[in-house]
Amino acid sequence: MSGYDRALSVFRQHPPPVNANPSIEVEYALEAVKRGTCAVGVKGRDVVVLGCEKRSALKLQDTRTTPSKICKIDKHLTLAFAGLNADARVLIDKARVEAQSHKLTLEDPASVEYITKYIAGVQQRYTQSGGVRPFGVSTLVIGFDPNDKVPKLYQTEPSGIYSAWKANAIGRSSKTVRDLLEKSYEEDMDREASVKLVIKSLLEVVQTGARNIEIAIMSPGSELELLDSETLATYVADIEAEKAAEAAKKKPRSSDQQQA
Amino acid sequence: MDILIGITTKDSVLIATSKSVARGVSVIKTNDDKTRELTDHSLLAFSGESGDTTNFAEYIQANIRLYGTRNGFEMSNKAIASFTRNELASALRSRKPYQVNILIGGYDVKKKKATLNWIDYLAANVELPYAAHGYAQYYVLSLLDRHHDPNMTQEQGLELLKDCIKELRLRMPIDFKGVQVKVVDEAGVRKLPEDF
Amino acid sequence: MAGGAADCQFWETWLNTQCRLHELRNKERISVAAASKILANLTYSYKGAGLSMGTMICGYTKREGPAIFYVDSDGERLQGDLFCVGSGQTFAYGVLDKNYKWELTVEEALDLGKRSILAATHRDAYSGGSVNLYHVTEQGWVYHGNYDVGTELWDAKDREQSFNHIVTSIPS
Repeated sequence: MSGYDRALSVFRQHPPPVNANPSIEVEYALEAVKRGTCAVGVKGRDVVVLGCEKRSALKLQDTRTTPSKICKIDKHLTLAFAGLNADARVLIDKARVEAQSHKLTLEDPASVEYITKYIAGVQQRYTQSGGVRPFGVSTLVIGFDPNDKVPKLYQTEPSGIYSAWKANAIGRSSKTVRDLLEKSYEEDMDREASVKLVIKSLLEVVQTGARNIEIAIMSPGSELELLDSETLATYVADIEAEKAAEAAKKKPRSSDQQQA
Repeated sequence: MDILIGITTKDSVLIATSKSVARGVSVIKTNDDKTRELTDHSLLAFSGESGDTTNFAEYIQANIRLYGTRNGFEMSNKAIASFTRNELASALRSRKPYQVNILIGGYDVKKKKATLNWIDYLAANVELPYAAHGYAQYYVLSLLDRHHDPNMTQEQGLELLKDCIKELRLRMPIDFKGVQVKVVDEAGVRKLPEDF
Repeated sequence: MAGGAADCQFWETWLNTQCRLHELRNKERISVAAASKILANLTYSYKGAGLSMGTMICGYTKREGPAIFYVDSDGERLQGDLFCVGSGQTFAYGVLDKNYKWELTVEEALDLGKRSILAATHRDAYSGGSVNLYHVTEQGWVYHGNYDVGTELWDAKDREQSFNHIVTSIPS
């Protein structure tokens, strides 16, 4: 088993299903992503929002210095990931160096697509060279291109695939979240609506609610903004109230049926 | 030779740099900016060998910015000066040393203190209340020795700087096409609208 | 370009391929700032190895507007509105500085550029031959012909009543 798995150049022998990854190792990486905590990204009219599920801290853990899953790549670029934290750290550092290097050699900050393509490029390289293991990480990259007000949202995967989205989720239960996003997404959402959609979709998979959610907002020309816990709690309370109201509306009807 | 002058005041640093660039027998630019912003509260001014100057300054700038995003907070002004000195020192004994003289003006928002570091191409680094590089030193240092006061206001600092430039205009044998002045203080780095 | 013919010819052709690759990779024309920086980083990497180049990278992009960057073999790179490069630069500057203004029309600018080069070819022993004129717009460059300085000189002398140190008239 190990001999077969270690060899990166060995392709799957059986005819693979559609869209399957070329190596077993990449599938393992994809599995690591699926086990990772969920991250959501949503584009609005002039805003991009990232949301993350925060793993609940242990009693003795210092939450103040435990690293976040939402990271700044540059002033205008932010990344969230799902998967192996340690792998992501390396990938993020490479992206940060590239962002500065781009500014140094091209005299223009890197575009969101450029940095996404770079991250995906690094991930791809680690699926093809010997003696290395692919990054067990999927990322969501958000931000604004220099001198531009159009929000951008991209995703990268361990295989090195990258794609652009209006809204997307990665990590644990991402399928459930994506289904909800597909249902609830609207074009040209304002800041409030975008943030609300992210929180609402995260609440689908995060049991502990506001305490274990992290929200980052980016607007054109301004710095990354992390939502503080009070504001977040009010959003959560609003959404819960809406849900309860909806449930209450449905309930009498169902009880009517029962009686009938 | 390019002119770099730095003066600290009670609550700011003033950095003046000459605007001319000369290549061979011609002045090819008269509005040059010989400074780079390293952080929101740190400014690097440079003079020396053409090519080396901007390349070195932008390399330092990229590294300081990288440090900022990596760590989530900016490098202190003392650390910036030490890092810059160290890069010059490593290059000094290499095949191709950087021949760049540097002034770093910084303002510490927490300590509410302005600092000025003087670094030469041989990688000596000193923190000083006022400093200059090049031939300008010979005219300006005595003047600053006589009239500088660490408790002076920004306005008084600018007056002193004006006196320095006046002296240089009078005595320097070459036209340096005036200086641009940048201020580093609590509010950050800004260029003064009028040049001296 | 001015300086070593081989250096300029080779590295500017090389720069052209770099710019084309940028265009293919990024689906967008390279900025003048970035193009000039590629060349400046190159010359800087060869600093001290004996390259001899003085160049101007001129372009027009939506974001930058009209832009000129001076790049030389020292690794220096400067942005400005007006540059003269080469052994005859001083003579060209003389004419150019006197008559240059930002509001120049295209035709006036072409004439002034040509006249400045003519001045340089006349006084500088190492400059001569003919003048090539280009007009760079956002749509790309437009070639405005090649002018032999032999005939240009007499035309200018006649038109402007200038070059009065030349006492002979147009050779027939």
